[in-house]
Amino acid sequence: MATNSAGVEYEAVSEPYVETENSVDNRKDVSDRLLKIHNVTSNRFWQFAALTGLMFALGIIGFILKVASGFDDKDVWGYYVAVFAFLMTTTAAAPMVAIAPRIANAHWRRPISRAAELWTVAGCLNLVLYIPLIWLLPSLENGRRSLWFYGQQASKDQFWTGFESVPAYSPHIWATLAIVSLVVLGLALVWLSCLPDFAVLRDQGTGWRQKWGRRLSLGWIGTTRQWNWQYHRMGIVSAFYFMMLIFVHFFISVEFLMVHVPGWIDSLYPITHAHNALQAGVATMMLTIFCLRQFGGYKDYIGLDQFWGLGKLLLALSLLWFWFWFSSFNLFWYAKKPSELSLLELLISGPYKIMFIAEFLLVFIIPWFSMIWNPVRRSVWGPAVIAVSVLLGTLLDRIRLYVASWDAASRDFVSMLEMEMHEVPEKIVTPAIADIFLIVGFIGGSIFIFMLASRLIPVMNIWEQKEFLLYKAEAQYHRAKVLVLGKPR
Amino acid sequence: MAKKSVLGLYTEEDSAADALDNLRDAGFEEGEYELLTGTPYPEGTFGEAEPEHHLFRWPLIGAACGFTGGLIITAGTQMAYPLITGGKPILSIPPMAIIMYEGTMLGAIIFTIIGIIFESRLPRLFMGAYSEKITEGHIGVTVTTEEGRTGVAEEALKKAGAEGDIIRGWE
Repeated sequence: MATNSAGVEYEAVSEPYVETENSVDNRKDVSDRLLKIHNVTSNRFWQFAALTGLMFALGIIGFILKVASGFDDKDVWGYYVAVFAFLMTTTAAAPMVAIAPRIANAHWRRPISRAAELWTVAGCLNLVLYIPLIWLLPSLENGRRSLWFYGQQASKDQFWTGFESVPAYSPHIWATLAIVSLVVLGLALVWLSCLPDFAVLRDQGTGWRQKWGRRLSLGWIGTTRQWNWQYHRMGIVSAFYFMMLIFVHFFISVEFLMVHVPGWIDSLYPITHAHNALQAGVATMMLTIFCLRQFGGYKDYIGLDQFWGLGKLLLALSLLWFWFWFSSFNLFWYAKKPSELSLLELLISGPYKIMFIAEFLLVFIIPWFSMIWNPVRRSVWGPAVIAVSVLLGTLLDRIRLYVASWDAASRDFVSMLEMEMHEVPEKIVTPAIADIFLIVGFIGGSIFIFMLASRLIPVMNIWEQKEFLLYKAEAQYHRAKVLVLGKPR
Repeated sequence: MAKKSVLGLYTEEDSAADALDNLRDAGFEEGEYELLTGTPYPEGTFGEAEPEHHLFRWPLIGAACGFTGGLIITAGTQMAYPLITGGKPILSIPPMAIIMYEGTMLGAIIFTIIGIIFESRLPRLFMGAYSEKITEGHIGVTVTTEEGRTGVAEEALKKAGAEGDIIRGWE
């Protein structure tokens, strides 16, 4: 042990363990190369941005048409709620691809973590989509089964005598708070992650990007204290984002889905909904990094490591999809309560049967049977194609469940506590032109917002790439050269 | 007395660590000098003291406040309107847990955001001596001290092999 002049003891090393690539020139090279890619906006980018922008415009038209049609007919809103749920399942969950591997100190996430965080910006669109749902969601007065003890209070003579029960709009209040919190946390996460890179834009950038960097870096100079805070801040905000994401899915799946189908009682389904989000979030990121690699100029940074890492996650989550689905299905199938048989008729074997079979193939069978093969998993194209399959299947899943559920919400049942077989809707609600605009428009709109955000914020985390130089070294191991990776902290 | 800051730039980690040793030998206290890097080095790389922070207190305090709020709302409502549901006690944890969880989360999140803004001391209005070379990859050692002692600080920074001229700025 040795002691420095401050009296702090440290382990003296006579020779460095391995030579890393960490030098001033290499650090500068990382900044320069990534800024060069960030500063170039190709024609192909603008063409695709124009296409998604056009889709977004259609989505806005669909949004206006839908809001103008009023909130009385609940069944016509099924596709709208499905789009909202789909975006919460994909774009809102994509940041988990940055959060989970960062907590596990996995180096493969470095080139893709910023892109994952950037999807939180598209979360603002989810918030806009959510606003009409506050008016759409019926109050607890319609007598449906809910989480809340509405209208069951026996006494109103003690204190708070002004109320006869919990507010009839309790679901609206708590769901709004949860969704707003998720969006705020997402924006905080991406801003915190970007602080050091905004300083790079301030110092090395030019024109409007430099001004943008100066404003948002808030005087970041990279002191030891600032880096230490950065580590802790991001850890805390990331953990909260994860917790809030699960909670928001719990609320969406209960308040906007299950409670509208009399007799749908399944304590496992909220976490199934959250699991679907993790699976679709990984698929979203797989497709994102494929596009960044093939068309964004990041071929040197995004390699097989990233596809392997995400591929393993997607395989595990696809297997879990079956586990969650089968656990719920098995219970209903064995229990055979009349209301549960009606539920199975509505969601699986009735009007939505074809949609369910397609979804089953796309979300479970195809990922499972393809990702078990190494040549597919260890490729660039394979995981990307499977990601498309998972996303399509997830969209079908959301349409099947939410459209059926809001169709049920528009009907008068003999009992609001259970649905009889003859009350099960016989046909799928046909999408109107506004619904098609909404589906195409808001998916396109999310991509459009992501693309615009990628022009303002470096889509690859510059400081994490430079940090990687500290922990990466090539060493001779007997007669082979191996890559030695260190773990920070 | 007005404070002034000086900055020495280094290309090697060992030189920056030597600069810190020289500053300590010259009588500068922790807090008078800082390391500036464009990369988060592992703590203690330069022999610097581990920075302290109190960020963890904010979510804990917020969570406690939120949990208390959630408890008061749920327990208060149920005591005001006692209703035995499913033979369970009036104050049953499972139905209360949802609001208490959300209350805890909201409190923790709000306090954390406030804590981050407060603890980070952002925005930093006066950057003092600074060089754009920091974000290029150089390692900076900056000393913020009384104007009369800047000469001693510059000497200590140069002795460790600072690259180019010492940069000066006002704090």
